[in-house]
Amino acid sequence: MGRYAIRRLLQLVPVVLGTTFIINYMVWQLPGDPFAGRCGQRPCPDSYVTAMREQFGLDQPILVQYWSFLKNLLTGNLGTDFNGVSVATQLGDAWPITIRLALMAVLFEAIIGIGAGVLSGLKRGGFLDNVVTISTLFLLSLPIFVTGYLLQWILGVQFHVIEPTVTDEATIPELIVPALVLASLNMAFTARLTRTSIVENLRADYVRTAVAKGLTNRRVVGIHLLRNSLIPVLTFLGTEVGSLMSGAIITEGIFNIHGIGGLLWRAINGQDYTIVVPVATLLVLVYLLSNLLVDLLYGVLDPRIRYE
Amino acid sequence: MRVTKGAKIATGTALLALGVAACGGGGGSSSGGGDNPRAATGTVYIRGCEPQTGFVPGNINETCGGTINEFVYSRLVKYNSDTAAPELDQAESIETTDNKVWTIKLKPGLKWTDGTPVTAKNYVDAWNYTAYSPNAQLGSFWFGDIVGFDKVNTADPDGPDGPKEAPKPETDKLEGLEVVDDLTFKVTLTAPVAVFRTKLGYTSFAALPDAFFKDPKGFAQKPVTNGPFKFVQWDHNSQIIVEANPDYPGPEKPKVKKIVYKMYKDDNAAYADLVSNNLDFTELIPPSALAGDKWKTDLGDRAIDGQQGVIQTITFPLYDKEFGGNADFRKAVSYAIDRKTITDKIFNKGRVPINGWVSPIVEGFKDGACGDLCTYNPAKAKEYLAKAKSEGYTPPAEFPIWSNADGTHKEWIEATVNSINQAFGADAGVKFVHKDMPTFAELRDTITQHKIKGAFRTGWQMDYPHIENFLNPLYKTGASSNDGLYSNKELDKKLHEADTATDPAQANALYQQAEAMLQQDMPAIPLWSYGLQAGTSKWVTGVKVTPFGVLDPLSIAIKEA
Repeated sequence: MGRYAIRRLLQLVPVVLGTTFIINYMVWQLPGDPFAGRCGQRPCPDSYVTAMREQFGLDQPILVQYWSFLKNLLTGNLGTDFNGVSVATQLGDAWPITIRLALMAVLFEAIIGIGAGVLSGLKRGGFLDNVVTISTLFLLSLPIFVTGYLLQWILGVQFHVIEPTVTDEATIPELIVPALVLASLNMAFTARLTRTSIVENLRADYVRTAVAKGLTNRRVVGIHLLRNSLIPVLTFLGTEVGSLMSGAIITEGIFNIHGIGGLLWRAINGQDYTIVVPVATLLVLVYLLSNLLVDLLYGVLDPRIRYE
Repeated sequence: MRVTKGAKIATGTALLALGVAACGGGGGSSSGGGDNPRAATGTVYIRGCEPQTGFVPGNINETCGGTINEFVYSRLVKYNSDTAAPELDQAESIETTDNKVWTIKLKPGLKWTDGTPVTAKNYVDAWNYTAYSPNAQLGSFWFGDIVGFDKVNTADPDGPDGPKEAPKPETDKLEGLEVVDDLTFKVTLTAPVAVFRTKLGYTSFAALPDAFFKDPKGFAQKPVTNGPFKFVQWDHNSQIIVEANPDYPGPEKPKVKKIVYKMYKDDNAAYADLVSNNLDFTELIPPSALAGDKWKTDLGDRAIDGQQGVIQTITFPLYDKEFGGNADFRKAVSYAIDRKTITDKIFNKGRVPINGWVSPIVEGFKDGACGDLCTYNPAKAKEYLAKAKSEGYTPPAEFPIWSNADGTHKEWIEATVNSINQAFGADAGVKFVHKDMPTFAELRDTITQHKIKGAFRTGWQMDYPHIENFLNPLYKTGASSNDGLYSNKELDKKLHEADTATDPAQANALYQQAEAMLQQDMPAIPLWSYGLQAGTSKWVTGVKVTPFGVLDPLSIAIKEA
């Protein structure tokens, strides 16, 4: 397992290099001058455009730019964005909030989604199963921004149960409703995925054997059935961590959470590659690491899977 | 049974989650008691956004920073929030006999927030710094009227794209600026400029303290200022805090102790906070609330309906044979746009059709400069289209009107092209369509490189409230924002005459004549003027909005009890 993990970690290096180069190249290829839109209806003074291009190395060929990007990345010097504000500080402010939000959302997905899935799977066709099927159908049909605005309006504006927006500190209690909103869609996915998997495995030979051995219901479900049924769910949740971090733009906007999504959105609109590239690089890393973690967890859940 | 127990745990978790949310969020809004939570701290919360540049007046040209910058720095002149008329602020007098040599005297006893006095030298130093091209300040061109500008600000011979570099300027001091004594300085312009006094209220003409020149970069993040508010703190992407300046000598003092500009990414979020009284002011009511005047029911007497100095136009690329059209074609298009219906239906009367090229709220505005050309008249539209064709212009089968997809322009442009197509009829041989470029930057880039294939939306937000600001930068030959490359020698002559007139009333009359001359060629089609929809919380009172469409922070006061 250790050697496997190291090999996987080494594989990350070319993947990160490749993706960052592609991202750099794509940002470079974007049409329009990032400084042309900065002066409204008036063209920006030439001296300003020249000075900015020089400062950010936009007058250099792309390979030179990529090289200095790598150098800066390795030395941890991310420089400033086009507004002259330190990129590292901005990332340092936004990441913890986004991570908190994403982890809470994944937690909700896992607890509520798997819980509901197991319950409905075990009682297939029963009342609870129908409730879960209908409520997940309902959640799946609602886009996140509808759920978000709806909860904000009802809980925040009408009944004052929560504040409509989150403060700058974004504490855990404040993030509960946004995390639920963020999790809502995939919570339904998780529930359905778990249900199918449970229903399928319930008829498997090993379950019948376990029941015949006279094991308690708890052991059959908890140890034998659940561990085997969780593999597809885990794959789904693993990829979720990454996409929740980059895909929280809508939820972050609705509840005014100052996280990575909003930062990325603003930077893309302003063609500010000084932010886009590091954020994208970090997201790539999050994806790769969470996938690695999922792969390793397979082995824990199912001893038949070995990595050597 | 185990399973049921599991179910209990699951529902229990969900309920717990909501319960904790209730505890966590309930802090500020439990306002049933009638006490005003703002009164204790003297702090109000205003919607803000992340500035693109630091707080150096000569380098600010966008509203996020500008809104705050306006009130942390005082300038020689300020604009009245009600009438938009220029009034003396830091200047005690601004005198001239020929509109060319201006003697400016400062009020005595003015102070920076670090305790140093505001002197004539502060103004001259700041202007020299902004104008000097190696400093790469965004506001440098504002000093182009002053003698010696070409010696401190050199142009790149082949533009920023070319390999050549701009030569180093001969000097870093404008020849036309002269400090007479501590409180007096003299400005000499290359030619008479009638509106120079009004221009002095623009952001770029503020002074900078000595502290700035020691560390320009650090200063931009935490400036020393001289306005009614002083700068306290800037948390990037989250908030900017300013405090009332106790030394501010102006007649109208701030009525609140502290203002927090809270940044929102989404107008809807700010609006939800406004409705639930967590935010005290926003000037951006989202379209979803404007629809059906919902915001007026939501806010009641907290809704503010106003006007601002921004107009919308459609400009033609006159340098392009195919899409530039001829004068009669552009007139036909103008006749074909039903401005009233569009402003009623799309903007819910939030914008007002205009009948000229100038915002109705500025000095020198005269109604009807456009004649009947800006009134919807399908019959005349057809007549002029036929005339345009008989003069030898064949419009392309598909005529795009361009906009940027990252703004909210799709709806009105689609309504506009529909209006034009309907008025022209199916057999017109030209069909207008709406086309988008992904970003504002790309649209502007294409426009300034004169490569755009079609007409395009243009909006003009005034720099200072004067008719001149709507004409010179837009329609003079070679002007900075003359996007369509319009050129008319007679108009240039008339504008020059107006610029150099010594009597302000006469200057205004000449500008009005110049505006009316735009009728002949219709280089741009006037559409409407922007209204202003803003709202306040129930905690504040007296809120006024400036002609620039932002809060006048001197006006906002906290309600007693």
